[in-house]
Amino acid sequence: MSSVFPQRIKKSQLVAALALVFPLVLHAAPIPENAKIEVEFELPKIDTAMYARPYVAVWIEDANRKSVRTVELWVGKDEWLKDLRSWWRKVGRYDRELVDAVTSATRPAGEYRFVWDGLDDQGNRVEQGDYTFYAEVVREHGGRNYLRQKLQLSDTAFVHKIAPTEETGDVSISYKVR
Amino acid sequence: MMLTNKKLKALTMACTVVAGLAATATANAHPRWVLPSHFTVSKEGGDWLTFDVTASHGTFVFDKPAGSESAQVVMPDGRKERPNFVIRGKRRSIFDFYFEEEGTHKVQINNVPSYYTQYKAGRRDTVKWAPANKAERDTLLPEKSRDVVTQLSFTRAESYITVGKPTDKALEMDGKYLELLPITHPSDIVEGEEVSFQFYFNGEPQQGVTAEITREGTLYRNQQEQIDVISDSEGKVTFTPDVAGRYLMKANYKGELKNNPLADTASVNVHFTFEAMLK
Repeated sequence: MSSVFPQRIKKSQLVAALALVFPLVLHAAPIPENAKIEVEFELPKIDTAMYARPYVAVWIEDANRKSVRTVELWVGKDEWLKDLRSWWRKVGRYDRELVDAVTSATRPAGEYRFVWDGLDDQGNRVEQGDYTFYAEVVREHGGRNYLRQKLQLSDTAFVHKIAPTEETGDVSISYKVR
Repeated sequence: MMLTNKKLKALTMACTVVAGLAATATANAHPRWVLPSHFTVSKEGGDWLTFDVTASHGTFVFDKPAGSESAQVVMPDGRKERPNFVIRGKRRSIFDFYFEEEGTHKVQINNVPSYYTQYKAGRRDTVKWAPANKAERDTLLPEKSRDVVTQLSFTRAESYITVGKPTDKALEMDGKYLELLPITHPSDIVEGEEVSFQFYFNGEPQQGVTAEITREGTLYRNQQEQIDVISDSEGKVTFTPDVAGRYLMKANYKGELKNNPLADTASVNVHFTFEAMLK
């Protein structure tokens, strides 16, 4: 009993101090239990003499621009990971195990659907707050597009649509809370 | 009248020669640099990279066959390795190296210091040069030479390669001549973001180092579009590469040498090649 009491004081002091310095902490609660993001992601058909399937990385960064989760990584050979310039610099080069865990084969043009379950790379449910969705698409003999979409993850659902670019077709990001 | 004319002519000639020599010592020396085929390796188990070494006035235009025999790769743990293959052509030399250890490697092609002594002798005030250091100059120079100054020249040509996760050990300095310490890690240089480097001269931060930073492709644009910087009291420079690409930084410092048995002054360079990545 006596040993628990000082600990509790310490904790409340800490929370108060953090709240003063960093107002974001005030609504630091995990996103709802069933919250997830569904992504519809189209790789357009590109008519060209030397078509190669693009390399694709999709990841989520928090408000401090730190990657919390690599959602998709379509590369195949790891030699080409560095061609996903931003993803490699920000995420891939720091964690070989993560790369091995998420990497998968490249895909042909078409419509794809994948889900981010709201967990970070360590399997913990992320806090509510501001995040950014990133998609980097790089094609050999072709171009590179770098998509960014701000996300506000709370208990309110939303849908964002990203306009097509040279290397990406229709992309929609749906945040579902139930 | 004749005399005055002669005198004038002599003076003009002397001036031309001096100016010419000064130009030889600075602008006319072809800057030596290294160009890596890649700056980043992501392949598990490593990969071969190739390096071009040349000396030229254009940024990444091959011209003189500067050698790669002295090339070294500083490994992520600090030990030094030699390149696996070296070839010398007519307008460049090349070397290849297999990069497999995780971390940042420094690639350097440094020459040995060279010494030139400048002096005047005889009745004319013509500035003459001799390839001699302070220890050698007394035997080489005519008696009663005056305005004798010996200059040390030394150039580093260097770049950094990162395999996987970047590290800092290979960034450590030797404490000799002019050196560049990247405050912004070379693998973190991104278009539109501020870059910070620090210059050291004989192991101390050095103010007044001038550097020009030029993006590749000068042949295909009208202006050099170079960035000029001068180091502050802490030896630091900051700049922002607005466009992604490969850049050559040519840094020079001219200063006095105190208690040096071989030279009175130094003109020392770092020619550093780096890439500014796409955002």
